[in-house]
Amino acid sequence: MRSYIIKRLIYSVIIAWGILTITFILLRIGPTSPVDRYLLNIAAKGQDIESVKQAIEARYGLDKPIAEQYLSYMGNLLQGKWGWSFSASMPVLDLIGSHWIYSFQLILLSTIFAILLGVSLGMLSAVKQNTKVDYATSIFSFIGISIPGFWLGLMLILVFGVQLGWFKTYYDTSYPIWSLQNLKQLILPVLALGIGELAAYVRYTRSAMLDNLRKEFVTTARAKGLPERTVIGKHVLRNAVLPLVTIIMFDLGSIVFGGAYLTEIVFGIPGLGQVSFNAIFADDYAVVVAVTLIGTFLVLLINLSTDLIYTYLDPRIRYD
Amino acid sequence: MTPSTRTPSSEADNDYNLNVMNDTVLEVSGLKTWFYTRRGIVKAVNGVDFALKKGECLCLVGESGCGKSVTALSILRLFDSPPGKIVEGRVLYGGVDLATCPTAYLRQVRGKDIAMVFQNAQSALNPVFTVGDQILEQINTHGGLSHSEAVSKAKSLLEEMRIPEAERALRMYPHQMSGGMKQRAMIAMSLSCDPTILIADEPTTAVDVTIRAQIISILHELKARRNMSIIFITHDLSLVSEIGDRAAVVYAGKVVEVAPVETILKKPAHPYTVGLISCLPDISTDAERLPSIPGSAPNPIDVPAGCPFHPRCPKVMDICRTVEPEFCQLSPVQATACHLYDTGVKG
Amino acid sequence: MTEATKAPRRISSGFNSRLAGYYWERLKKNRLSLVGLGFIALLALLGIFGPLFAQDPQHTDFNVKNLPPLGFSIQESIYDIKTDSFTTTTLPGRPDHPLGTDSKGRDMLAMLISGSRISLLVGLLATGIAIFLGTLIGVLAAYAGGWVDNVLMRFTDIMMTFPFFLLLVLIVFILGPSLTIIVAVIGLTGWTGAARLIRSEALSLRTRDFITASKALGASDSRVIFNHMIPNVISLVIIMATLSIPGVIMAEAALSFIGMGDPMSTSWGTILNTGQHTMDTAWWVAVEPGIMLFLTVLSFNFLGDGLRDAFDPHSII
Repeated sequence: MRSYIIKRLIYSVIIAWGILTITFILLRIGPTSPVDRYLLNIAAKGQDIESVKQAIEARYGLDKPIAEQYLSYMGNLLQGKWGWSFSASMPVLDLIGSHWIYSFQLILLSTIFAILLGVSLGMLSAVKQNTKVDYATSIFSFIGISIPGFWLGLMLILVFGVQLGWFKTYYDTSYPIWSLQNLKQLILPVLALGIGELAAYVRYTRSAMLDNLRKEFVTTARAKGLPERTVIGKHVLRNAVLPLVTIIMFDLGSIVFGGAYLTEIVFGIPGLGQVSFNAIFADDYAVVVAVTLIGTFLVLLINLSTDLIYTYLDPRIRYD
Repeated sequence: MTPSTRTPSSEADNDYNLNVMNDTVLEVSGLKTWFYTRRGIVKAVNGVDFALKKGECLCLVGESGCGKSVTALSILRLFDSPPGKIVEGRVLYGGVDLATCPTAYLRQVRGKDIAMVFQNAQSALNPVFTVGDQILEQINTHGGLSHSEAVSKAKSLLEEMRIPEAERALRMYPHQMSGGMKQRAMIAMSLSCDPTILIADEPTTAVDVTIRAQIISILHELKARRNMSIIFITHDLSLVSEIGDRAAVVYAGKVVEVAPVETILKKPAHPYTVGLISCLPDISTDAERLPSIPGSAPNPIDVPAGCPFHPRCPKVMDICRTVEPEFCQLSPVQATACHLYDTGVKG
Repeated sequence: MTEATKAPRRISSGFNSRLAGYYWERLKKNRLSLVGLGFIALLALLGIFGPLFAQDPQHTDFNVKNLPPLGFSIQESIYDIKTDSFTTTTLPGRPDHPLGTDSKGRDMLAMLISGSRISLLVGLLATGIAIFLGTLIGVLAAYAGGWVDNVLMRFTDIMMTFPFFLLLVLIVFILGPSLTIIVAVIGLTGWTGAARLIRSEALSLRTRDFITASKALGASDSRVIFNHMIPNVISLVIIMATLSIPGVIMAEAALSFIGMGDPMSTSWGTILNTGQHTMDTAWWVAVEPGIMLFLTVLSFNFLGDGLRDAFDPHSII
């Protein structure tokens, strides 16, 4: 088991290296180099282009051969020198440091909401397969995964903000993050992000439960005289959880981060998505790259943890 | 163990006079379990009658798909309930009809009075819990023992099954055990509440010959030491002669003959049983071709009218095609459902 | 006796029209899938022939701005300088703009039709690229084995770690927003799931009993590949493609929504982008494109689900 953990860690390091390298390559394939764009902005502010260009080239080492650029790029990133955001006038890391908590809160709350409701509904749906409850839940989950998350956000604002006036249509940052007023204004964003997740989790849970409901050990459990709620709630669930953990964590990385990005923009929540969005239109590439890298490394971390959690949960893998 | 609040039904007394009744522990009469599917009604069990006596091993024999497993599941109502349903018949245990009793009562019987072991131990045991935990779970469901008492009972059960290092085995997961060990652990688990009846659904089909011998010998011991009644389900006639006292031959969901094993092998009555016995290869005779019964077993969705065996029966008569034969006594020990033997004495 | 000497007529094998017909029969029984298929067909027709009948989606006319859809009306309060007060007029929908207009007077119906072309085009092309790439990589990895497999799979793992939308945004940011680039980028980043699935399917097929059996019967390698392996992989490819299209369409819509779509074209996402600012004065601009997106994605999901059941030999239809 320990050798597995070590192997997995080494593997993650390789992937991390791969991520940084690919990002480097992407940055260099654009038709306009980051310098040119930066220069356009500076020129718009009326400074002397040539001197600025030389300063940048010296600073970013863009006049040096590509291999050297690559090494200094890697070096900088690993040392935490993630550049300067000229649109926000602060180091990129500081910018991220002051905004990540909003994204974290949004994602945390919607994921908890989606897991609690989604898994319960999925279990119910599986146990009562082919009944009205099952059909209703199926329809709901089909709809849930087909609605574009950002449009759902807009519709929620339209109905509850504009028409009914229950919520403000902009995000007020004056409240402390974990205060009740702040949580109240997070209700709509959490719903917008969470409903899509929820619908997906219902389907996954239902499918995982159904797969296990027909297995022989369920008959054995009943033959032992166990009450039905123990059969389902302990024997079936404990087996269904295995694929579920994997797929929920996978979804988190691939879909939820993108969804959170859009939800922040729709609701004006000043999280990393909003920060990246603002940076795009200011051509502040360092910020955009930084947010992408953070998202990617988080996914890497999540994948690693999922592997370890799964190994712990499934005795067939833990004791080999 | 037996509930004192219910009185035995007197109808049951009259219907079944096969043998001395006071040592009959289980009586199945006219059992029909049908499955209502989109493609039609699957009549998996379509008329099963037998009685199980204390301390005997009754074998349910038949080819694959004849309904013997579903019969076993029906005793404890373990089949999937939509779409399956017991449409007719009685399963009398301790004076209570298990086919219609409330689920709460059934749960008390399951695992405690009547226990069951299955064919494939790897899939029948839950892979995410230790064997010890699964045994303890059963002990604790039917209550009464403290934790340490339960653990020592589980340990002694594994030892009874001749599983080495029982203490360590308790902490093992099913996949860590060998095939034979898993099978024996499953049997140990089923015995954890000292049941009266053990239903064994093809316990030796999925294991190799050496393990098979071990399991058969364990079952013999159970009969001898605990005076346990066993319902042994198999398609293998040689096993029947090894372990069985009496045998019930099943065809297309019906029991077509019940008799002591000697009688089944030497003097079978029903033409299907005759056919089965003649299929057994005899090493002492010279044969160029192995005999077989022509045709194939009917699809349980589409059971023929009258006697289900009539399309393949060498002794078929006109009445066989339209009228279902009743189950009747041929002798005090043998009963069959065949028009050739309509004695009028209900079996 | 002459019967025996005639050459046996070839019983066709592989993925042919008879097999396709069988799957079609099974699919037909799923009513939701048919509804989805019907809607997609309708959308395709609309996209192809719609522009011939509709108005120009780019044509702005401030005289007819902010018209609600037919059957609705909206209250407009206009401040009148002369009378120093607000006059409230009720503006009803008009039949020449059946779905209303946006704040610049562009006809909603025309814009939606134009958007349908883009969504379907991007959906089909980008998915095509992604699935093609994924299949190529997956099959290559499965057959070459060894270090080729290793390298390809590590590369796939690396690409899979990037959150899809964030990567899209980054690349479109670097390369610039044009329709071609968007299609290419979605296609070149969305192949990872397909590669994984195809590779595992190909690997498992190699060792399955029916392959061993056909080799035992004397089948050559190419026969095994074409008549046995490919038909089994094709169904997976079709299902994956159908179920990937919704994600692609949503990705393009999301990009356009945040302003990174092609500025020359009117995609549903772009309409939503303008619509989000006028939700109090012209709510239909934010509602209609979303409904179209929703229905389109729903249709592909219905179809994909039905295809999955139709192709699954274990499901009873």
